[in-house]
Amino acid sequence: MLAVEGLTTRYGEIEALHDVSFAVPEGSITAVLGPNGAGKTTLLRTITGLVRPERGRVLYDGHDLTRLHVEDVVRCGVAHVPEGRSVIQELTVDENLRLGALWRADRADRRRALAEVYDLFPLLRGRRRRPAFTLSGGESQMVAIGRALMSRPRVLLLDEPSLGLAPLVVAQIMAMLRDLSARAGLTVVLVEQNATTALSIAGQVVVLYLGRVVLLDDAERVTNDATLRRHYLGF
Amino acid sequence: MLNQTLNGLTSGAIYASIALALVLIWRATRTVNFAAGAMGMLSAYIAFSVIDHGGGYWLALAAALGSGLVAGAVVERVLVRPVEAKPPLNAVIVTFGLLILIEAAAGMIWGETSRGFPAHFSVRGLYIGGEAVALSPFDIFVIAAVVTMMALLVVLFRATNLGLRMRAAAFRPEIARLLGVRVGRMLNLGWALASMVGALAGVLIAPKVFLSPNMMDAPFVFGFTAAVIGGLDSPIGAVVGGVALGLVTSYVGGWSALGPSLEVMGAFVLLIAVLMVRPQGLFSGIKPRRV
Repeated sequence: MLAVEGLTTRYGEIEALHDVSFAVPEGSITAVLGPNGAGKTTLLRTITGLVRPERGRVLYDGHDLTRLHVEDVVRCGVAHVPEGRSVIQELTVDENLRLGALWRADRADRRRALAEVYDLFPLLRGRRRRPAFTLSGGESQMVAIGRALMSRPRVLLLDEPSLGLAPLVVAQIMAMLRDLSARAGLTVVLVEQNATTALSIAGQVVVLYLGRVVLLDDAERVTNDATLRRHYLGF
Repeated sequence: MLNQTLNGLTSGAIYASIALALVLIWRATRTVNFAAGAMGMLSAYIAFSVIDHGGGYWLALAAALGSGLVAGAVVERVLVRPVEAKPPLNAVIVTFGLLILIEAAAGMIWGETSRGFPAHFSVRGLYIGGEAVALSPFDIFVIAAVVTMMALLVVLFRATNLGLRMRAAAFRPEIARLLGVRVGRMLNLGWALASMVGALAGVLIAPKVFLSPNMMDAPFVFGFTAAVIGGLDSPIGAVVGGVALGLVTSYVGGWSALGPSLEVMGAFVLLIAVLMVRPQGLFSGIKPRRV
């Protein structure tokens, strides 16, 4: 279980997160929603150590992730797909994917993982040797997610994976996440601006507003309660 | 004409290796290592000391390359890493200060007077068809050594997992960290390799310009010019820029009796021409900015 406890993060004068706490059960999907500037990206960046919190901690598997070097977080089984175009443009698709598993010593397992990712995203097979800057938005996001999966994570953090993607591709990615979670017990934390997309697969919902948790509830209950939905999510 | 071309290729090889050392460091830590030439000079002096104590040429060369690796790693860790996140001017001041420090130290240890440095191969021009040409066995060795070094680096960067991690660390350090790459170590290795290249340049140029603490001052300026011409972020640019600069200075230098003093002018003209047409460098991927 991933436990976020009392996280407060500042950027200089600005408090981006204030006393954020919630738990993510193993094998579940948690959607983190909220408007622009609510602190969703800062939350993920604090969990994986790209930003140090002023207060609080993140417990996973007996480790406080906020006390680790960034490069050690993936070694604990936590993978982060950052927002925007995070594939390394100058590298090929294959190189981007392989990069995700290089910290692991087992060469045979790395090859297996690569084959599994190409099975998951068959579209990428034809693009293996192409430099990443030639990819479309959807393909690029597939590479970013595939690269994170290469490390065989137990927790996958995704920051707005659907941004700028065609609805069909988004549906494909969401279905894949739900499948991985159900089949392989992958724990997913999904930051999204598009609440409908996230709610379609989430088990739990966290809504952030101005850096604070304003709602923490069962996803089904939020979807079915029109008043709650309208109040916190605007639809 | 032929002689000037051959001459230009040999000096071009040296400029290309200095330029390459600068490009490798630029790509790793976005800094210009103004002490690159001085560090190469230091490695050349270490090679000289090995020979002076009875060691053979190849042992001396290995010692120079090894000292280059160590020097690069130490400088990055101790001097450059603390200023990596600070304003660029800090790194400039640090590496410039290091340049002055190393030249002064070399002067104190080995003295300011120039010394001869052995070239392991003959420096007499070869005879082709009964005519002496401006290409000696040593010149061939210089070109071969530089080409071999570059080929090895290309293999390292493009065909190994270590090279992949180093490229990732240089292109997108934050993303690389999320993927478990130890970015600090990769940048450090980049500096070590770059300094090894600089050490090779020092050993190769020493026989021609004679060993002295200021030995690499002019070559460094030419190497830096070559790197700017080729694009500070492009290894291919470094090679092309180096060879182009070598050829241009050779042609200009051999053109008239004023020759050698026009060399620098020729380099200057080439630099200005490139900066006017393509200010980011011929092979650079960067977009230029109007200031």
